[in-house]
Amino acid sequence: MKLLIKGGRIINPAEQMDMTGDIVIEQGKIVAIGQNLTADGGQVIEAAGLVVAPGLIDMHVHLREPGLEAKEDIASGTRAAAAGGFTTVACMPNTKPVVDNSILVSGLIQRGQTEGVVNLKIIGALSKGLEGKELAEIGDMIAAGAVAISDDGGHLDSTRLLKTGLEYTGMFQRPVITHSEDEELAGEGYMHEGAVSAMLGIKGRPAVAEDIAVARDIMLAEYANSPIHIAHVSSKGAVEIIRQAKRRGVKVTAETTPHHLTLTDEELKSFNTAFKVNPPLRSADHREALIAGLKDGTLDAIATDHAPHAFEEKDVEFRYAPSGFAGLETALGVVLTGLYHTKKLTLMEVIDKMSYAPAKILGLESGVLKVGAPADITIIDTEYKWDVNCINFYTRGKHSPFEGRNFKGKALITIVNGSIIMQNGEVLK
Amino acid sequence: MIKSHISLRNKDILGLETMSAAEMNLILDTAKEMKNIIDRDIKKAPTLRGKSIINLFFENSTRTRTSFELAGKYLGADVVNISTSTSSVAKGESLRDTLLTVEAMGVDIIVMRHEAEGSAQFAANIAKPVIINAGDGAHEHPTQGLLDMFTIKQYKGNIAGLKVAIVGDILHSRVARSNIWGLLKMGAEVHVAGPQTLLPRGLEQVGVTVHYRVEDALDQADVVNVLRIQRERQQKGLFPSAREYARIFGVNAKRLALAKQDALLMHPGPMNRGLEIAPDVAYGEQSAIQEQVKNGLAVRMALLFLVLMGGTHIEAAN
Ligand SMILES: [Zn+2]
Ligand SMILES: [Zn+2]
Repeated sequence: MKLLIKGGRIINPAEQMDMTGDIVIEQGKIVAIGQNLTADGGQVIEAAGLVVAPGLIDMHVHLREPGLEAKEDIASGTRAAAAGGFTTVACMPNTKPVVDNSILVSGLIQRGQTEGVVNLKIIGALSKGLEGKELAEIGDMIAAGAVAISDDGGHLDSTRLLKTGLEYTGMFQRPVITHSEDEELAGEGYMHEGAVSAMLGIKGRPAVAEDIAVARDIMLAEYANSPIHIAHVSSKGAVEIIRQAKRRGVKVTAETTPHHLTLTDEELKSFNTAFKVNPPLRSADHREALIAGLKDGTLDAIATDHAPHAFEEKDVEFRYAPSGFAGLETALGVVLTGLYHTKKLTLMEVIDKMSYAPAKILGLESGVLKVGAPADITIIDTEYKWDVNCINFYTRGKHSPFEGRNFKGKALITIVNGSIIMQNGEVLK
Repeated sequence: MIKSHISLRNKDILGLETMSAAEMNLILDTAKEMKNIIDRDIKKAPTLRGKSIINLFFENSTRTRTSFELAGKYLGADVVNISTSTSSVAKGESLRDTLLTVEAMGVDIIVMRHEAEGSAQFAANIAKPVIINAGDGAHEHPTQGLLDMFTIKQYKGNIAGLKVAIVGDILHSRVARSNIWGLLKMGAEVHVAGPQTLLPRGLEQVGVTVHYRVEDALDQADVVNVLRIQRERQQKGLFPSAREYARIFGVNAKRLALAKQDALLMHPGPMNRGLEIAPDVAYGEQSAIQEQVKNGLAVRMALLFLVLMGGTHIEAAN
């Protein structure tokens, strides 16, 4: 059965293509891109006035399965992804048990196929049990399908273990993804250290804790000559360190998040726990540096760090709330509203950062619109106006710092492997 | 007599950051009348008869709790104290449950002290009774800020234009934050001083002048407000020793002499004599420390009255 997407604005960053045309899909693959194509009795999606993009890819999510299903599981998390326009998500291994062996990787891949509605990619742990002491079975996990290796959830204190991990993972041409923030330096704080924390009396996490860790991690990657990917960059110092490293040819890539690009620590004056996240929301100068970093290519990708928590866990005094919140269903709206409509990023750049770039970093064959590629496609209405209401989220994490905001821009249709799985906000599977 | 028709804007008293100068003046003016009641032989006024107040203290503070308790009783309210600790129970959930339990008992005011910043705001979001913040972590302690301003006004007549030095552990001090907001709004020039490890970064952006030499802050100061140093800070390595602190940052007679001759010396108590403040200075002529305690009572009476009765005149309410 054929599927024809007709008359949309096709944006394909891989070839810098931006044209109006049609796409034909058959048996899960793109079979034709061009003008005046026909469906031969297949289904037709009228896409005039809409953007047709390679499916969005979120390379950094926490789906909480196995073990923490009260917060999220593969079924709810991938539905949230589909609702947000994502066709692929890569999940972090900080679950219970930790994903640190090939059996769990295979198991999760299988769960993804049966329970998931979008493509699920697995990131394996760098150290056994995330304890930061011994290497996990990295080679086995990659053989089983892990796309990257990471101890995200916290900082890897041991410089020695990170060096070994980079050397070892590098052999398989897979990146180590680091959560770079010197925990000893930042440890006591629970928001950005600056003027706002000064007057709220809340202990700060200084930006220099991130700068130091990013510098260390990059130096180790350079020494090991292995690929490294810096997760959720939030400080201007880190942006500059990554920029310099890229100039001298270090195999470093980096991501930042929709919230760090659009929010600042001023929001914490409300003591609303929805704004509590790690790394913390920083001051406006840091946010500007992140946007500049995205613009000049220092920061490759936008990833959500989707980190849902059960409602009651976040519904406490600020100090006791866990860090993180649901990000999959708001990400595109945040980026289009806060960066595209404000002319900070072009549409081509948005699609690149949210699809093509993460595909390249993780070595996926999606993220592109070309004949023979998987038919993972997101159809976007950049002008669609909507209000964020967490209660309607598919994710179990009902907290969002964007609750109540008005957005302009939304994914209307999500197509995964040739089938429509989300239409007008409703996940069909 | 209060001629003003101003009343407090918000239901709750969470901090001085969100309070206007007009509101603070209303409270200070009302406190002046309340102070007369304290000086009477028979202290009970029937103003708040039939009203109930709960002092909900998750952190020990005999001083503040007693002050609130007497303030309520002098105005004829029923006051109950609940002291509990956050560590003995599951944290966030217990605060919500405790608040809802207290609310169900029909109290009019919850005076709350809690170790977590923002807990008073959290309580105000949940509970219907008036929440008065009696200290939330290192965030704010609005009644202390108000009593300090009341004391300054009593001695100096006015606050605008004064140079006020706040000396000591600003980083962990809710008193410092409420003082900073209050004094800046009332037009004072606020200087803070202490070791850099006890000064939060970014204070300048609020309009405060930051010094690492106590002498610079005290120079020509009209008011010197010395903060308590907790010895745990030393164990955490934020300063090397009590002896060194006293020598470099302690307020003694020699340093106090740098301030104006009639400078006022204040301390929120309890004091570490010989650490942040020299004993001769603490009990010296310039010290307003005893008066602060009395004024605290007056300010708290004023607040309780205003949050329950609005901005109308005291006698009318009687
Ligand atoms: Zn992380
Ligand atoms: Zn993460």
